[in-house]
Amino acid sequence: MTSKETYRCELRAAIRQLGDRCLYSAAKWAAELVVGIEPDAPPSSSSSAASASSRATPSTSSASRLLPHHRDGSSFRRRLRSGGAPDVTATPVAGVSYVSTPIPDDDGIDGGGAGDCYLLAKSYFDCREYRRAAHALRGQAGRKHVFLRCYALYMAGEKRKEEEMIELEGSLGKSDAVNGELASLERELSKLRRTGAIDSFGLYLYGIILRDKGCENLAINVLVESVNSYPWNWSAWSELQSLCTTTEILNNLNLKNHWMKDFFLASAYQELKMHEEALKRYECLMGIFRFSDYIQAQIATAHYNLRELDEAEVIFEELLRTDPYRVDSMDIYSNLLYAKECFSALSFLAHRVFLTDKYRPESCCIIANYYSLKGQHEKSVLYFRRALKLNRKYLSAWTLMGHEYVEMKNTPAAIDAYRRAVDINPRDYRAWYGLGQTYEMMGMPFYALYYFRKSSYLQPNDARLWIAMAQCYESAPLQMLDEAIKCYTRAANSNDREGIALHQLAKLHSVLGHSERAAFYYKKDLERMEAEERQGPNMIEALLFLVRHCKAEKRFEEAEIYCTRLLDYTGPERETARSLLRGLKTAESGFPSMDIEHFAS
Amino acid sequence: MSRLMGGGSMKEGGAGVFDLTPHKIAVCHLIQLFAPPAQQAVPFPFHSVAHHNHLGLFLFSLIRSCDDFVEPPLEELINQLKAVGGLASDWLSEHLMNSLSALSSPDDLFNFFDKLRGVLAAPEGANLEDDQILLDPNSQLGVYLRCCILAFNLLSFEGVCHLLTTIGSYCNASDAAYELPEDDDFNNGSELHEFLEDAELDLGTIEFQKYGHNFEAETHSGECSLLHLHAPRSLYSLVEDVQVSVDPKFKHDNAGARSREVVSSLNNNFRSDDNLGILRSRWQIEGYLNMQADFIEKDASTFSFNSFTTYLKQLQKLAPELHRVQHLQYLNALYHDDYIAALDNLHCYFDYRDGRTFQPSIFSPSDIQLGRYETALLCLGTMHCHFGHSKKAFEALNEAVRVSQQNNDDPCLGYTLAAICNLLSEIGIPSTTGIIGSPYSLGTSTGLGTPLSTRQQLLVLLKRSLKRAESLKLMSLLAFNRLALAKFDLKHVKRPLLSFGPKASTMLRTCPTSICKELRLSSHVLRDFGSDGLSLQTENGAFSTSWLKNIRVATNPWLKNLSKLRSSLSNDFDIFQFDAQPSPIPGSILQLAGASYLLRATSWEHYGSAPLVRTNALVYATCFADAASLTELSLAYAKLIQHLAVFKGYTEAFGALKLAEERFLSVSKSRIQLLKLQLLHERALHRGHLKVAQQVCYEFGVLASSVNGVDMELKTEASLRHARTLLAANQFSQAAAVAHSLFCTCYKFNLQVENASVLLLLAEIHKKSGNAVLGIPYALASLSFCQSFNLDLLEASATLTLAELWLSLGSSHAKRASTLVHRALPIILGHGGLELRARANIAVAKCHLSDTSFSISQDPSVVLDPLTQAAEELEILEYHELAAEAFYLMAIVYDNIGKLVEREAAAASFRKHVIALEKPQDEEDPLAHGI
Repeated sequence: MTSKETYRCELRAAIRQLGDRCLYSAAKWAAELVVGIEPDAPPSSSSSAASASSRATPSTSSASRLLPHHRDGSSFRRRLRSGGAPDVTATPVAGVSYVSTPIPDDDGIDGGGAGDCYLLAKSYFDCREYRRAAHALRGQAGRKHVFLRCYALYMAGEKRKEEEMIELEGSLGKSDAVNGELASLERELSKLRRTGAIDSFGLYLYGIILRDKGCENLAINVLVESVNSYPWNWSAWSELQSLCTTTEILNNLNLKNHWMKDFFLASAYQELKMHEEALKRYECLMGIFRFSDYIQAQIATAHYNLRELDEAEVIFEELLRTDPYRVDSMDIYSNLLYAKECFSALSFLAHRVFLTDKYRPESCCIIANYYSLKGQHEKSVLYFRRALKLNRKYLSAWTLMGHEYVEMKNTPAAIDAYRRAVDINPRDYRAWYGLGQTYEMMGMPFYALYYFRKSSYLQPNDARLWIAMAQCYESAPLQMLDEAIKCYTRAANSNDREGIALHQLAKLHSVLGHSERAAFYYKKDLERMEAEERQGPNMIEALLFLVRHCKAEKRFEEAEIYCTRLLDYTGPERETARSLLRGLKTAESGFPSMDIEHFAS
Repeated sequence: MSRLMGGGSMKEGGAGVFDLTPHKIAVCHLIQLFAPPAQQAVPFPFHSVAHHNHLGLFLFSLIRSCDDFVEPPLEELINQLKAVGGLASDWLSEHLMNSLSALSSPDDLFNFFDKLRGVLAAPEGANLEDDQILLDPNSQLGVYLRCCILAFNLLSFEGVCHLLTTIGSYCNASDAAYELPEDDDFNNGSELHEFLEDAELDLGTIEFQKYGHNFEAETHSGECSLLHLHAPRSLYSLVEDVQVSVDPKFKHDNAGARSREVVSSLNNNFRSDDNLGILRSRWQIEGYLNMQADFIEKDASTFSFNSFTTYLKQLQKLAPELHRVQHLQYLNALYHDDYIAALDNLHCYFDYRDGRTFQPSIFSPSDIQLGRYETALLCLGTMHCHFGHSKKAFEALNEAVRVSQQNNDDPCLGYTLAAICNLLSEIGIPSTTGIIGSPYSLGTSTGLGTPLSTRQQLLVLLKRSLKRAESLKLMSLLAFNRLALAKFDLKHVKRPLLSFGPKASTMLRTCPTSICKELRLSSHVLRDFGSDGLSLQTENGAFSTSWLKNIRVATNPWLKNLSKLRSSLSNDFDIFQFDAQPSPIPGSILQLAGASYLLRATSWEHYGSAPLVRTNALVYATCFADAASLTELSLAYAKLIQHLAVFKGYTEAFGALKLAEERFLSVSKSRIQLLKLQLLHERALHRGHLKVAQQVCYEFGVLASSVNGVDMELKTEASLRHARTLLAANQFSQAAAVAHSLFCTCYKFNLQVENASVLLLLAEIHKKSGNAVLGIPYALASLSFCQSFNLDLLEASATLTLAELWLSLGSSHAKRASTLVHRALPIILGHGGLELRARANIAVAKCHLSDTSFSISQDPSVVLDPLTQAAEELEILEYHELAAEAFYLMAIVYDNIGKLVEREAAAASFRKHVIALEKPQDEEDPLAHGI
């Protein structure tokens, strides 16, 4: 109880302080979190519960109007409450003792000339008049003043940079526009840091500047320093997270054990594709921040990445119900709907985000997804392009656009798009896979192998990648069957859902004349198909092979079993089965007679 | 200029026809001062017409170089101005500085350009005052001004603001640099200036030299005779010395630093000014990158992998759409043997849409697609080839064939076929296994239904590729193919391809005339390189690299020193093609032409004409050194040194080798190293240092790659030498075993030319072991191999061995031996080396001596002459064993004819050699340690 109250107090103070320093997105994040904390038991604080319910009621009703399946609306939450993490609720921190960080006091500058100056500057800043804000703060020495002045200068520089980028765009796609303020800001902040006259916000700004200048290691150190002294600044955490490109960097961070660290780690795990670990952490955090949309969205994303689409869908629906104007992480939801081919739900989502804010990259991506699902790939590409115009580093948009180009048979453009995705994040196995696929489509299997190798290196447990590689090796021009068998074996060992690997293994072995091994794989394939209750030509093929194999091996009874199973099918197979059965019978009956003959002679 | 400009504007694709930069504004300003409106004939600061004209020429040269990769900073411009302006220079530079720094608002710029317009003469028809200086709008200066004015008018307001800020930094940067080294710079500068004036060469500054070249190349009129004056060499170097002392930071004496330094100086320029205006045009960067690619291909060791990579990364950051950088990264990784990085960069380069052609907006999409993927595969194949992954290389090249057939890309198909031929001829493929396993690869081409041997496939491929190249008019490919054919003909006997049907009666011999024909055709074809469709690109690229040469000379005059140090390595082409002028012949063409000479040298080596080998190698080393890669050049040197060793003995050869080693220090695993081992081995064998010989043999073995079928030549040579060492150690059975297995390998890999020498070696082994009867068949077999491959010298040597074998069978065969020796004698004496000649001479003497009908007392000189000759030659070679034999024979002869003094002398020499042979004194051999 008290711990929840302290969370609340800490966050409330943080919202005020962050907002005061114009760090809006961090303030927004903290504010979202503070309402996400599970209300205490009704008697102790009825007001918060009431506020929570009042927050929830209108949105639920609006959602019920819009969504067809509103009945199981709160089932997810109920489920979580009942079975999801009961022990977590009891001991929220599960044996981990957090380091409590004192909430720093603000500089006492509320009154007087300095305080007024600050208020003026902040208003300017709020109106996005950054240089004016910085000018209003000139000569002020308070830490808060210095921070806001530097921050305003930085923002001004960024704004100018964006403008210049468009003005200077030349034939080389030149992007050498730099934030002109970086050098002077760095000089000032590094001096402040040396003299110790810098607060955690200043450190955060210093970290960003260092990152922009390309001094990433120093940036990491500075950001760690910042979050250790003031952990509630989510922006600092997420900058830090974006710098942690490998698990080694992540593990080497020297972080104080604050509860914000859990959020950081979870999101870092998510980015590093360690989805299970991320999910675990988030579920842990759910114990306290039960109503946090952020956590739910992250959990849903993790589920989606783990290809647990149904679980993810439930959470996303719930999220949309409580927060209908949400755009963040809705692109993941749209991917999910795309994968499930939910036309109307996707169109509904697209419509909603379009009305909310059509110039968000996520919105464009959702619309593009919709068009893609409808098979209108040109339009889809148009919207992906728009999304990329809004955010050039939007990784998934590049990859998805590549897919669209593949659909449009525009292979060069597809390759280009995939390659850009890979250049943004070389660990994106989907784009590598896409590249491989495209080259394979163009009849260059040997060339494609390089890309499949890359992707399977990054995602070694994904059967699809191994199968793709095997298909390359198996293709007519290469005919490297041994390598193909190795890849298929790998795929079969890593949970191949479509069961292609087993079938192909059996086939390849029979082609190579390893009939014993072929029979082994055919049997396994048969078992799999039986377990999944599937029918089809593969089944017939397997049965036919097994009949012949058993016959050749003189295991007539086994052959008969398979043969009778074949009889269940219609078509020419039935006839073949019949004749085979006849052959079996004569062979079986002929066997003793032959023996007799043998003895006789 | 117009040509450059026109080209530039076309290539730029409308995006900024002409980038307006502070430097250009400064030049405009100078033009304005040069031709102020409404002034008398000689405007104010100038004291004479000639003086005025100097400035004009200077401006003209500035304009000529206006598209240089890097524009000079203001400081440099002012220094140049001082050199030109004479007395008025101070006024001029002052004026320039003032007016540039006076440009403080956009309106000032507008006014400036308005005023500029006044400099230009009104179009025809307007009334002209007589004594007014007006620029003809169609003159070079006029066109330049108009370009600038037009560019300014096209600028948006943002553009004007940018221009203003860059002008500000242009002035300030020079200010800072101006003040810092002030006194030093000025003093030296003025000294230099005075000195130049004393020499009556007031235009002869280095900078001006450069422009002068430029100018000279373009204008044909002789009106400005001053510009034709070249500073004498000594003066030139003096100027450089002064410059070097001015810039101590530029002091480098590492010869390899040349290109790196260029890179770093560019680097600095990039860093010092990351605003726009430093990346000139895309075309120039392309040119720069092309040039770097050439450098790296020629001599990768001068590039440090990491620094070049960081530099390229920086360039990539500045110009993210310029994917050519990735190609350079690929090359960099390739030549530094970084397989992973090379592979990654290769794929990256070709993945981008404009991987091949770099302006997607101009070319239609189909244009872009043409050739991109098959080129990628071709590159991948050659990359694998470079790393020795022959199987992967085959797969990639086969795929390239398939894709280019699919896309109807005939040129690429031609090149791919050539690459496959190259691969086939480079790697050893056992004839027993079908290399090209998949039926898709090449089988389709023959359609004969019978599996062809590798060699036959190679021939078929070569012919196809040749035909394709001919029909597509790809001249360099054609030349390459002809060379490859010549190489093939040199080493292979032609057999009818059809294994059924009427067989044309073929002589199983190689045909020297056909090789000669191919070689001649190859260089003949290159004459028409202009019509090669693909050479167009390189031509353009080369054109825009001329600026780089300019910078090299202008900014780093000390480089001249370096290149002079290296000039013995490179030829003096520079004298003919001025620094600023791109070579009229693309480097690749030169390289091919050179290759034909190298191949000529090799073929003569086979045919056994030493003088012709030497001539061809010399021609190569002197005429093609510039275009040649270091490995090829070192091959030519190796041939020359080998020639020395064979004809002049080891001391001379090792002297030459030392020189060559210094030159090719940077090339690892080079021919020179190989040559050194060869020479050391030969000498050790001759001197009888068997331990050393064995050690060298081991070193040889280490040099070759361990992969089967790669480095076949090296491997054969290693085991050949091993067998010879064993033979010298009198371990006959082991030597025979080694030689035998070597023969099997050669047979398996179809190395028939090598077979001849292996057989001869076997004959020698049997001869030495005393089994002359067994040796004769080997010698005969070797002889027939030599005949069918026209290996004349080897044939002579085989004949000699045969004669020796007969001789050792007893005196009854002396007659037969004698005829054999005499048959071989002409070619041996004409072309053979010291050892062979000595052996022949000894054999002649022996024939006479063992002839029962011959009596010494009648004519001792018949025997003595050849023997003394042989002894002399063998002493040069320090071949103790044979020398001892010669002296022994001599002593016997002298004894017989009763010349006792001579007998004693010969006997003493004999003793000396025998002792030297038995007790090889292991003198400190400086060369042996450096292996």
